Amino acid sequence: MSERPFEVARLDEVETDAQPGRHSWRRVRSHFGIDAFGINAWTATEAGQGLIEEHDEVTGSAGGHEELYLVTEGRARFTVDGEEIDAPAGTLVFVGDPASKRAAVAESEGTTVLVLGGKAGEPFAVSEWEESSVALRFFATGEYERAIDVLQARPQTAGVLFNLACAESLAGRTDAALEHLTRAIELDERFREYARTDSDLDPLRADPRFPVGP
Amino acid sequence: MSERRFAAARLDEIEAIPVTEMTLRWLPIRRHFGIRAFGVNAYVAKEAGDDVVEEHTERTNGHQELYTVLKGHARFTVAGEEIDAPSGTLIFIRDPGVQRAAKALEPGTTVLALGAKPGEAYEPSAWEDWFLAYAYADAGERERGLEVLRAGLEQRPDHPSLLYHVACFESLLGQKEEALEHIRRALELGDDVLRENARTDEDLDPIRDDPRFPA
Repeated sequence: MSERPFEVARLDEVETDAQPGRHSWRRVRSHFGIDAFGINAWTATEAGQGLIEEHDEVTGSAGGHEELYLVTEGRARFTVDGEEIDAPAGTLVFVGDPASKRAAVAESEGTTVLVLGGKAGEPFAVSEWEESSVALRFFATGEYERAIDVLQARPQTAGVLFNLACAESLAGRTDAALEHLTRAIELDERFREYARTDSDLDPLRADPRFPVGP
Repeated sequence: MSERRFAAARLDEIEAIPVTEMTLRWLPIRRHFGIRAFGVNAYVAKEAGDDVVEEHTERTNGHQELYTVLKGHARFTVAGEEIDAPSGTLIFIRDPGVQRAAKALEPGTTVLALGAKPGEAYEPSAWEDWFLAYAYADAGERERGLEVLRAGLEQRPDHPSLLYHVACFESLLGQKEEALEHIRRALELGDDVLRENARTDEDLDPIRDDPRFPA
């Protein structure tokens, strides 16, 4: 953490997780080490791209946050609880109910959405998905052992265990991967469905201990 | 607070509120949506040279602040250092004690301000109440302004600055007894700056000659 009383950056300089064919995620909060509220930005690398994955703020590793979205560039189409919202640059979309389903698609390349979040009535804590997501960078670069290190240090929720199983599977650590995958499914049955299709787990599929039928 | 599960608005649909004695124009985003988890506002300059961040510290609230220049071009001054801030610039100020301000270099310059205190549940800042109250007063609706302040005071009965502003409004509206009681409590709980303000504030002139006036 910096000792300077302030820090400056341009939004387009903040480090991104750019993966081919995927939107890029600018980690504004962790860039500055902000620990009072959540803020990240997402930029579409092509038109029609999913910019905000459909999610709610109660399931899995979500933080139970109120969320405010601000379209700063381009144009997005939000869907909140089934209702569509046309959102050109300058549009704010506030989703106060953590249970609401929300998603957004970019209408043009370069569409950028700032996402602000925090939990009403509680001190800010970094969402578990954001903590764990550091590991996903190492998936992208094939550094599975580093991904394993990050995930092992997190609270062993179903989502973390599932991602840990994926990393271990790709790292050739079959026994650990099978154990963690089994525990993830025990904690949250939805991961049985994810396990059916996630190619990260392909190295495990032939093993008789693999907990998911074909 | 809104009962809707979600709401959308364009920045330019949120009414810009002129802030008394400043060239600052405030878009009360948090208030507009009823956000409870963090502080978020925007400021829009009408002309080049207008304030887009008033000079202040965050000592009272203890907030970390992140400013984002959404449109136009601003010049920030933080801890005495000038920062050129075109659209897309982010400025994060961790230390609440640091002095900060910004002026627009172009008409329409828009700055988003985000704030909260680490380690504590967010509570709306009391300044929102008096920014709004003075805007009503300036528009000739001082009674409506007083309602805003009193609603704020219900949430925070011991907030010295809120008590002070309530007293000013009551004083000007001829509600002498209430004004005297509120100024007494404000100066009892407040600091020397507030006491100094009370000595010269014209809003308090209607009650100043009362023997019960505390300053």
